[in-house]
Amino acid sequence: MKELLKTEWLKLKDYNVFKIIVILFAVGVIGANYVVYIFNKKVIQAANTGGLVPSFGPYNFDHTWQTTSYVTGFILLIPAFLLIILATNEYTYKTHRQNIIDGQSRREFIWVKMMVALIFTLASTIWVFLTALTFGLFSGTSFSFNGFAHIGFFFLKALSYNLFAIMLSVWIRRTGFAIGLFFIYLGAENILSQLLDVWSVQLRNDEGVNLGALGNYLPMNASDGLLTFPDNPMKTITASAMPTDYPWIVAAFAVLYLYVFFRISMNKVLNTDL
Amino acid sequence: MEVLKVESLSKDYGRIKALKGVSFSVPEGVVFGVLGPNGSGKTTLLGIIVDILKPTSGSFSLFGEKPEARHRKKIGTLLETPNFYHYLTGEQNLLINASIKGRGSNDIDRVLKLVNLDTRRHSKFSTYSLGMKQRLAIAAAMLGNPDILLFDEPTNGLDPVGIAEIRSLIKELHQQGKTIIMASHLLDEVEKVCTHVAVLKKGDLIVHGNVDEIFSTNDMVELAATNKSTLVSVLNSLSGIVNVKEEENGIVIASFPKGTADLANINKHCFENGVVLNKLNLKRQSLESKFFELTN
Repeated sequence: MKELLKTEWLKLKDYNVFKIIVILFAVGVIGANYVVYIFNKKVIQAANTGGLVPSFGPYNFDHTWQTTSYVTGFILLIPAFLLIILATNEYTYKTHRQNIIDGQSRREFIWVKMMVALIFTLASTIWVFLTALTFGLFSGTSFSFNGFAHIGFFFLKALSYNLFAIMLSVWIRRTGFAIGLFFIYLGAENILSQLLDVWSVQLRNDEGVNLGALGNYLPMNASDGLLTFPDNPMKTITASAMPTDYPWIVAAFAVLYLYVFFRISMNKVLNTDL
Repeated sequence: MEVLKVESLSKDYGRIKALKGVSFSVPEGVVFGVLGPNGSGKTTLLGIIVDILKPTSGSFSLFGEKPEARHRKKIGTLLETPNFYHYLTGEQNLLINASIKGRGSNDIDRVLKLVNLDTRRHSKFSTYSLGMKQRLAIAAAMLGNPDILLFDEPTNGLDPVGIAEIRSLIKELHQQGKTIIMASHLLDEVEKVCTHVAVLKKGDLIVHGNVDEIFSTNDMVELAATNKSTLVSVLNSLSGIVNVKEEENGIVIASFPKGTADLANINKHCFENGVVLNKLNLKRQSLESKFFELTN
């Protein structure tokens, strides 16, 4: 495995697109969170002088893990697209063939792609952890690990995006098509998810059946649904309209989908012409 | 030992049958040519051997064993087009090849010099000309000095000098005792460098074996005389003759087993039987016509 990763590193280390996107993402995580942080501080809390709503700091400890994970979730497409570019490059340059010709097995070829996806996931999770910690410390509250599970949910979401990206890459093979399809799929799943959510509200109200928000059981939404903005006075009002969430069932679905992405990618690479 | 043994290998692309139950084996130390016109299944065959294509049925073995990735590390392969990372330099690309082959980087200097790319080693692959790309692919195949080489149209895209260099490289490798399997649609390439050949036509293996035996060509003698029909009957009475064929322009072609046509004897025989020849010329059957004979 070490040799395989070394080979992947040789492909990456002199690739400018790789460097640029990594920097873009690293800065993006800080930037996106800073926007939320400053908006809350300068706009919402400044307007809230009358004390109509209790004051709320999304980056205070207890909340910072959740807020940072949630906000960063919006730019998780960046590492996923980088993975698509890297994996589809192999098909564009036909180096997927050359790697096999030179003596990689097909299993090693796809396995190391999954490993790179995992490393990207771990690296972005660590970066989110550091960002959350820094914002938490700057918000002037005392350190706490409460709500740290959200960093785990972030990991799950990032891994879902990244494995989905690998799966699209090995099936679609073309960079542009794969990225386009990623967008189209996310959009389509969101629409379907909204419809299912409406249906689950009806189910609860009319039939008394509470299955949770059904939209959360879809492949991308499963890991997505676990990441939410922290409960706050504004959110409590709307939240009561929705069915109860079952986070562990949703998490189980998310893990199941990870396995599905993995299997589908493996099958494609192991059993078809390259 | 048989380096490669192919057993009833078939490959379908939908309704197209690219290979139809091909079987042959390649002994160690030969230059084995896979010859056939475009679309005959040569590349498909090589693709299956290096595991980038999955056969529909049939099997093959490498070094007498069930094929695995580790076998390919010992085979230098050059398929149709050079496949490299465009954004990396020639040298950086070879480092990746070497890393996969588990060879380390100490052989890169040698192979770059071998293909005359030494001076452009730090240029990006995307800036290479077609010939340079092909040279880099040959360099990659030569990494680690493998005992088996698999070449698909190795002279594709090279200029005449490059072609001559590659052919002498192949001969040199053969002299070093290496086994070379090469696909080509160029007859004269196969004739010049191969010791063994398998001829493919539309996915069928037509014939395979020693080049000299397969392309064993008869001696062809061109003759002409004023009285053509007498000439034919006189020739037919000549011992050792294989075939007499009347051509246009009054020319008659007589075939003899390779190396047995004796022009003086033919002349004497004809004259003694009252035929005065006004044309007598020995020519060997061209490989070209043999190829058409085999594939049509």
